[in-house]
Amino acid sequence: MSPAAVVELTGVTKRFGPDVLGLDDVSLSVAAGEVVVLLGLSGSGKSTLLRHVDGLQMPTSGGVRVLGVDVPTAGGRELRMLRRRIGFVFQQFDLVGSRTVLENVCTGALGRLRGPRLGLPTYPRGLRREALEHLDRVGLADRAFQRADTLSGGQQQRVAVARALMQRPEVPLADEPVASLDPESSAQVMDLLKTISRENSLTVLCSLHQVDLALGWGDRIVGLRTGRTVLDLPTDGLDRDQVMAVYSRVGADASALLTTAG
Amino acid sequence: MTERLAARPSTGSTAAMVVLLALLATAVWAFADLRINVATFVDGAARAAEFAERTFPLDFPPPGEILRLCGQTLAIVVLATLLSTILSVPLALLAAANTTPARSARFGARALIVVARAVPDVVLAIVFVRVFGIGALTGVLAMGLHSIGMIGKMYADAIEQIDDGPPTALRATGATRLQQIAGGVLPPVLPAFVAVGLHRLDINLRVSVVLGFVGVEGIGYAIAESLRVLDYQRGIALALVVLGLCIVVELISGAIRTALLGRGERTRFARKPAPRNDEELGVDADLTRDPRLRSAAALVEGLVSPPWTARRISSTAYGLVTALVVVASMSASGVAPLELLGALPRVVAGLGLFFPPDGGGILALLFAELLVTIKIALAATLIGVVLSLPIGALAARNVAPSPQIAQAARLVILTIRGIPELILAIVFVVITGLGEVAGAVALGVGAVGLLGKLVADSLEEVDPGPERALTATGATRTQVFFAATVPAGVRALVAHVLYLLDTNIRAATLLGIVGAGGIGFYLLNASRVLEFGVVTTILLMVFCTVMLVELLAIWLRGRF
Ligand SMILES: Nc1ncnc2c1ncn2[C@@H]1O[C@H](COP(=O)(O)OP(=O)(O)O)[C@@H](O)[C@H]1O
Ligand SMILES: [Mg+2]
Repeated sequence: MSPAAVVELTGVTKRFGPDVLGLDDVSLSVAAGEVVVLLGLSGSGKSTLLRHVDGLQMPTSGGVRVLGVDVPTAGGRELRMLRRRIGFVFQQFDLVGSRTVLENVCTGALGRLRGPRLGLPTYPRGLRREALEHLDRVGLADRAFQRADTLSGGQQQRVAVARALMQRPEVPLADEPVASLDPESSAQVMDLLKTISRENSLTVLCSLHQVDLALGWGDRIVGLRTGRTVLDLPTDGLDRDQVMAVYSRVGADASALLTTAG
Repeated sequence: MTERLAARPSTGSTAAMVVLLALLATAVWAFADLRINVATFVDGAARAAEFAERTFPLDFPPPGEILRLCGQTLAIVVLATLLSTILSVPLALLAAANTTPARSARFGARALIVVARAVPDVVLAIVFVRVFGIGALTGVLAMGLHSIGMIGKMYADAIEQIDDGPPTALRATGATRLQQIAGGVLPPVLPAFVAVGLHRLDINLRVSVVLGFVGVEGIGYAIAESLRVLDYQRGIALALVVLGLCIVVELISGAIRTALLGRGERTRFARKPAPRNDEELGVDADLTRDPRLRSAAALVEGLVSPPWTARRISSTAYGLVTALVVVASMSASGVAPLELLGALPRVVAGLGLFFPPDGGGILALLFAELLVTIKIALAATLIGVVLSLPIGALAARNVAPSPQIAQAARLVILTIRGIPELILAIVFVVITGLGEVAGAVALGVGAVGLLGKLVADSLEEVDPGPERALTATGATRTQVFFAATVPAGVRALVAHVLYLLDTNIRAATLLGIVGAGGIGFYLLNASRVLEFGVVTTILLMVFCTVMLVELLAIWLRGRF
């Protein structure tokens, strides 16, 4: 319960129907400027946790506080304003394939604009210029007017990063941003995320699959298994085997792990 | 595919088989009971000779007059279809599970769409002639509102099929619901929306001929006038003009649809393009390395509008042509947008006439005639299937013995599709005399246009894997067809046939209007004498029948 916490989950439980538990009594506090990496097998609740931080899903019970906003009780407008300050990069990039790359980046500014937009000319010129700068930042300014679905996966994810940058995010979230990419594109996207978060000393929550990437970037690693936190330690002095235990299929040593951690 | 070939018949599919056989038996009985046989046609031969004598030589109006009539009809059809698409977009957004704001809104929108489909355009036209008089506005409103039943449903289906990733990504940027829809939902469905609109344009063009018989201006009206005074020379000549117009419009709209959706995506569209390598991407050549776009330079110049590439020019040209067509339609039909808006309250008042439903003291008779209509539809479907299977198979490029035969068969299908059912019905009424036989044969032959195409398309879409495997074992063409192509197509065929039965019940109702038997005659009559309560009763009866067929189709779909 540190006062400086940017993200604060307290005893969050999320049920999908009577017997599916997405999150099981998860508590997590992230301080400003911290880079937290979430690890866990698929189905362990990483995406669900991130979606709760962004208010895309609401907890069945427990508290979610992000940037001073109490998410479960926030109104529609308040939530939109909050999401604008957060930023989210998804595993499947989720660009609008039939629109240009530049228009996709511009959509990152929708939270600042009034009314619906369809087509590049409906975005103000100044905004388009800003979008082009972000595209340049991710090294794709020369692709601005191509359809987004004509880019390779790695390029699409960089466009998605530019779209998130357009929000000028304070707490960017990323859900397995490199899981669908080949090693080379992965390295490119990871480098980009690292540099951007470091340069702007952003608070970051990112789920990953690769332990080495996690150890190389995170200040802290949070391990999830079947919706429960089974590891929550700073990366400093953490060894690989400790982290790998998160992935072991035996559930019995989960609590043991936590005790060693504490 | 392979799992299904290996699957054992379950009890569910046995029940489905029984139901299908029962349906087939009923259809055969209907066919026999309507006395559709050679004798009827031999009787008809004499009448046909007489018909030919009174029809030839054909009497075409002067070219200027033909152009004027075609222009008038096209204008009405374009505006009706446009009105329908404009009204369908918000309705579909309310009706689709992934965009609706509330369950009740979804239910309400779905209900409106179903009602729009249940009330035939002819009935709407009869009502609107009362309210707005004979003219273009009546046709635009009648077809425009009825078309919502198809367009709204297909739009809602298209919306429900999209990948929810992009709208969710926009939601995560803080976008409002409306912004998510404009930015993340409309772009992926836009090509499908245009394609559905064009498809409906083809249908409405045919329908407009029928509407001519109840007072909607254009070429249909001219045909109706000629036939009323038994001027077959002029009437049939105009019918040929309609046929040509339908084919031309169908070719144009088909070309645009193919350009929009691509050949392989006629029936479904991709959920999410797989990320691909840079090399294999067909990127617009002018765009990839425009020197002005070299980042720094672009930023200095503030180049934030796309350059004029060939693709941008052509899409702008499409937009301009569309706008031009719409403006021309408005001036040709004399229907102004404001007039349309002003008419809507009176439309609602006009529709109020339909309530409450009323039996008009002839309920028993109506049920007997409904049965006749169902018999006509069943017999027509049987005729349609028997004719469509061989023609459709020949039209499929992977089945036909030679590409030329496939092309010829496609042409036959296209031509039949081009003939409005009403014209077919009129021809058969002349040949076989007034009554059920004319209706059943007209619908049966007309069905080849729809079912033949569906059969050909589904055969062409069959996964070529098993076929190739069999061909590799040295199987003959016929063996391959029955062992691999047919099993894969049966499921689609059953769905198509039930869909055809469904359309035929509706169409059989309408053909009653030209004297082709069944409940349609009473529908027209009740409309003419302003007994709108009876109209509602008849529509409800037909609607329930159609619903039963649709339920049957859903039940069968789970079992094949
Ligand atoms: N919308 C949903 N409806 C039902 N179950 C869900 C839903 N989202 C996630 N789940 C379930 O919650 C659990 C956690 O899923 P998720 O957060 O996606 O895991 P991860 O991202 O770690 O792979 C899984 O068992 C998953 O099946
Ligand atoms: Mg996940």
